[in-house]
Amino acid sequence: MEKKGFEPKIIAFLCNWCSYGGADLAGVSRLQYPPNVRIVRVMCSGRVDPTFVFKALSDGADGVMVAG
Amino acid sequence: MSKLKLASYWGSACGGCDVAILDIHEKIVDLANAADIVFWPIAVDFKYSDLEAYEDGYIDVCLFHGAVRNSENEHIAKLLRQKSKVMVAFGACAITGGIPGLANFKKKEDIFARAYFDTPSTQNKGKVLPTTVLQMPEGEIDIPEFYKDVKCLADVIDVEFYMPGCPPTSEQIWNVVLAIVTGQLPPVGSFVGCEDRALCNTCGRTKTDKKVKKFYRPHEILVDPDSCLLEQGLVCMGPVTRAGCGNQCTGANTPCSGCYGPLSGVVDVGAKFIGALASVVDTDSPEEADKIISDVLDPAGTFYRYALPGSLLRRAK
Ligand code: SF4
Ligand code: SF4
Repeated sequence: MEKKGFEPKIIAFLCNWCSYGGADLAGVSRLQYPPNVRIVRVMCSGRVDPTFVFKALSDGADGVMVAG
Repeated sequence: MSKLKLASYWGSACGGCDVAILDIHEKIVDLANAADIVFWPIAVDFKYSDLEAYEDGYIDVCLFHGAVRNSENEHIAKLLRQKSKVMVAFGACAITGGIPGLANFKKKEDIFARAYFDTPSTQNKGKVLPTTVLQMPEGEIDIPEFYKDVKCLADVIDVEFYMPGCPPTSEQIWNVVLAIVTGQLPPVGSFVGCEDRALCNTCGRTKTDKKVKKFYRPHEILVDPDSCLLEQGLVCMGPVTRAGCGNQCTGANTPCSGCYGPLSGVVDVGAKFIGALASVVDTDSPEEADKIISDVLDPAGTFYRYALPGSLLRRAK
């Protein structure tokens, strides 16, 4: 793949109470951010099983972010 | 009614599964009374040509152990599939790649370089590597192609049953043989000769709070014979491993290395075990957690010891 024009797919597992709230607030505040991040809401970042990260990467994600 | 026809074959395997079958001892005579063994390279003198001559579906049950490392393994797996009504992936190698599957941490070129050039006992000035076809004065010789990675049996053929273990215990083998002979096999796709719960469930050790400050290797501590090994800081794969072995290792003060394979629903045993380990590490500081976890020697090789090809990691890229 050419470096130029590379659009990474980033899967973000966000905690309902903080980081997801933040993402929500970003939306409500009409803050612009690139659409590369695909958010999966979890009820707590402690719910994130390492399997989710492996699965996301093996299914084609370029990066995984866990926040919470 | 004609006698049941059984076959057993090894792909890329150590032979331990065959020995485990032979370890049913005198019951082998009962087995011979109940079933005709029509193909079993380690014990009975049949040739590939005999197998080729059988009608399709002639064999009632084939116990296939070993992974698929080369083209011969795959060819015979396909041939046996064609000749067998029921195919059992027998042992860790056939199910998830097993110990031979650890080779997937390296690429084929690395393995060849190590085996044919680098080992101290090798002299190979001409840098000769095996080729699949070789012309000799007497004619052409062909040897199987070494694949770029180790595959599981179900990657190359359809499999009806899975019998875990490295090797499966002789008691469980006999239970499964009885189920086969009496026609009491479970639904297709089932795991047989094991239980559908974690090894910790069948482990007699006392379990309390799992709070680990330091991980050890078994020789580094005096192991308490009664309490949970993981709580003592030994890397025991019990929480993610299928029960059924009779807790052979934990019963002998040795942590489980996971040979009965991942529990149902676990897509990646290593990832699952990372989760299990993370939950027992007793600290709130990320630095200390790093330090505690860094005592686990060869995490990838330990967590995927029997299951690399059958995991999401699968192989080095
Ligand atoms: S972790 Fe190991 S020693 Fe502890 S209960 Fe589970 S199987 Fe037994
Ligand atoms: S305790 Fe673990 S490694 Fe030992 S035989 Fe049982 S499943 Fe295999």
